[in-house]
Amino acid sequence: MTSSKTIVLRSSDGATFEVDEAVALHSLMIKHRIETGGADSTTIDVPEVTGNTLSKVIEYCKKHVEAPNSDDLKSFDTDFVKVDQAVLCHLAKASYYMNIKGLLDLSSKTIADMFKGKTVEQIRETFHIKNDFTPEEEEELRKENSWNLFV
Amino acid sequence: MGSGLSSFLLMCSSTTSVPAAPPESSLGDLPESVVGSVLVYLNPQEICRLASLNRAFRCASTAEFVWESKLPNNYDLIVSRVFDDKGFCSNVCKKEIYARLSAPNPIDGGTKKVWLDKVTGKACVLISSSGLAITGIDDRRYWNWISTEESRFRSVAYLQQIWWFEVDGEVEFPFPCGTYTLYFRLQLGRSGRRFGRRVCNSDHVHGWDIKPVKFQLSTSDGQKAITQCHLTNLGKWNLYQAGDFVVEDSKVPMKVKFSMTQIDCTHTKGGLCVDSVLIRPK
Repeated sequence: MTSSKTIVLRSSDGATFEVDEAVALHSLMIKHRIETGGADSTTIDVPEVTGNTLSKVIEYCKKHVEAPNSDDLKSFDTDFVKVDQAVLCHLAKASYYMNIKGLLDLSSKTIADMFKGKTVEQIRETFHIKNDFTPEEEEELRKENSWNLFV
Repeated sequence: MGSGLSSFLLMCSSTTSVPAAPPESSLGDLPESVVGSVLVYLNPQEICRLASLNRAFRCASTAEFVWESKLPNNYDLIVSRVFDDKGFCSNVCKKEIYARLSAPNPIDGGTKKVWLDKVTGKACVLISSSGLAITGIDDRRYWNWISTEESRFRSVAYLQQIWWFEVDGEVEFPFPCGTYTLYFRLQLGRSGRRFGRRVCNSDHVHGWDIKPVKFQLSTSDGQKAITQCHLTNLGKWNLYQAGDFVVEDSKVPMKVKFSMTQIDCTHTKGGLCVDSVLIRPK
């Protein structure tokens, strides 16, 4: 039995995950680190991502690397993002930092679908998004919107 | 562990505890670059609306990559076809390019208007009757120009009567890839306003029920379409479909020739307003 090379990923909170190199390379950020880090780099720090999120990211990479042509990949993806808002956001951020395009697209589209058809006020309420504009910025925004060319 | 299956080892650190991020603030905490990735999946109107959500959304709503995703692949060709200023693209952000291209822009001396369809992002071209070759247009016994608010070009060609009816035209444009339909915008009868109401004068309308009209189009890459139909619906503007054409290479401008004819000289025909020819994505 050939032993595949494994990489250890360490999250921001110190949790470590041993994964096949092929799975780890699904993250272009990790791929870059391995390629530029030298032959000895078997532990890679991912300080932007917590253990809980990293675990889910690895689950995604594993499925997409080991069974990229499977019939249930689409339903896997659909179920994968059936998570609460916080987890979804952490996944989106992690996929951005770790440069995993498929996961970034998947989580971004899911978030976008949550916004469709809602007014700004509804979105603020539902998703508890704070209005962090200064009064001057609000005024500028009002002016910008009056010039909105998309009738 | 030697069997090749990956295994997950979770070693919990005993000293640090992970503070849970308050779920309420998660979406509001998204960095601008991630917000941009989300905005790509929304339409331009939604993107502009969400700019007022918070600062990250506002910044992301002007990001180049977001608007580049809304522009057609060959937008640089379209920009140089539409705007004379060759340095336009380098001076202006993608959002501005999108905004400018989404509004009707005159080309070819104002005889045509071009804009990007907001839903598909593909091009629409409207050719004024002043940009068409109309047989006998200079003979006032046959044709006259009428000013009207009902045309985007403010004036239409009105036919009183003629034996040989022929309207030809052509346009060359870098259409984005896709399928397009070409229409003639026509009305039987001459409309006007009297006492604030729209009225239609159908005195000259005749001859269209005898034989059908032939609409044709052909493209520079050999596509052809022909449709024959009778003109109907007195007093209303109709779009008569000439046919479809497909653009497969957006790098090469497509030349489209089109015509509308009724040249059976055993009868005259008249009372027709010719406004424009419209090309829009299917």
